[in-house]
Amino acid sequence: MNELLKGNFQTKNQVTDSPAKEETLEDRFEREAKKRLGGSIAYVSKKKVMWDLKNEKK
Amino acid sequence: MTSPGGPPVRSSRADAGKIGRALVEELGPLTWDRHGPMAVANAERNQQLLRHGRSIAELRGTSIGRRDSAIVMATGPSIARRDPIAQIKSSGYDGALIAVDSAFGYCLRNGVIPDLVVTVDPHPTRIVRWFGDPALMQASPGDDDYFRRQDLDPRHADELRANREMLDLTSRHAKGVRIALSTSASEAVVRRVVDLGMDIYWWNPMHDDPDLPDSVSRRLIEMNGMPCINAGGNVGSASWMIADAVLGKRSVALVGFDFSYYADTPHSRTQYYREAIDLVGEENLDDVFMWVHNPYLDQWFYADPAYMWYRAALLDMARDADCETVNCTEGGIVFGDSIRFAPLSDFLAAERA
Repeated sequence: MNELLKGNFQTKNQVTDSPAKEETLEDRFEREAKKRLGGSIAYVSKKKVMWDLKNEKK
Repeated sequence: MTSPGGPPVRSSRADAGKIGRALVEELGPLTWDRHGPMAVANAERNQQLLRHGRSIAELRGTSIGRRDSAIVMATGPSIARRDPIAQIKSSGYDGALIAVDSAFGYCLRNGVIPDLVVTVDPHPTRIVRWFGDPALMQASPGDDDYFRRQDLDPRHADELRANREMLDLTSRHAKGVRIALSTSASEAVVRRVVDLGMDIYWWNPMHDDPDLPDSVSRRLIEMNGMPCINAGGNVGSASWMIADAVLGKRSVALVGFDFSYYADTPHSRTQYYREAIDLVGEENLDDVFMWVHNPYLDQWFYADPAYMWYRAALLDMARDADCETVNCTEGGIVFGDSIRFAPLSDFLAAERA
């Protein structure tokens, strides 16, 4: 067993490490460009109005 | 294939929009990244200005308009082509007229004072234009060409002239007009609305599920005590939600809800043109825009990812609504099992009967 998991058990399958992908300049540019495609404000599924914290309504 | 800056020319419309369809799935988080922190910061700053208005809860159950119906007016490109206000005026419709911020000028120019104006977008400089921006008189329009390109209100292409007109119209007519003012509104919008003497009703846009632990929405309610309303991604859908859930209207007609562009609109006149080019390059724009056939009109329209997201959200919200929703835009892509598509004349005739 390698050093990824430490415990008093044996893992059934071999656990391997996959190094985190480093963000490239291109990735960062894409992320920033995507961000500017967003809408005006949020949408929350299956919700209407919450009038206050005392009398909560869907 | 795309002609640079010109109308889309792809032959197979069904094949277009591959990237756009994937982006629609990401629009929730992308919208938070784009505007969420800004909206919350605005709400925190607006805390000290709440005294200039009241809670939108005070509109609950009040009789705005003489009917249990409302017309919600947005400013999609159909407004310029169909001019719905002429029909509304000539019909003598006396139900509630709710205008999104960008439709305020269209109403005022046509001699109509809406019963309620709604604003929500937190953008720091753009939204105030719909009320007239006093700061723009001393400055050049600058690098942001949004208004010079946009198709919401062609008059705003001449920015300084349009702004002078809005300053004049609002200074003469906006005083006392009700506005559902989101706490997310920018400092410029709030300052302008307060200076104009509009009748302010505050509300929080719902940023996330308030029932979740560490909810941003819940924190806003705790901070300012204002109701939290699901805005559906944009000011048009927020206005519809207010008609349904706050004013309790039983029948709500939509005009100017295109959520799309006419087929002959050049890509360069679309809302996210520059952003789309940055993402995929001009030669791949057809992969961002999606085509939808409107069977009621037998006409094609195309949409960017945000519009497709707005459409899906509004259809979803309308399924849970207490009101009947009738889309009288006579253009665009907003139709489905929960929203009936009909001519505005039919809605107005039914209201007269």
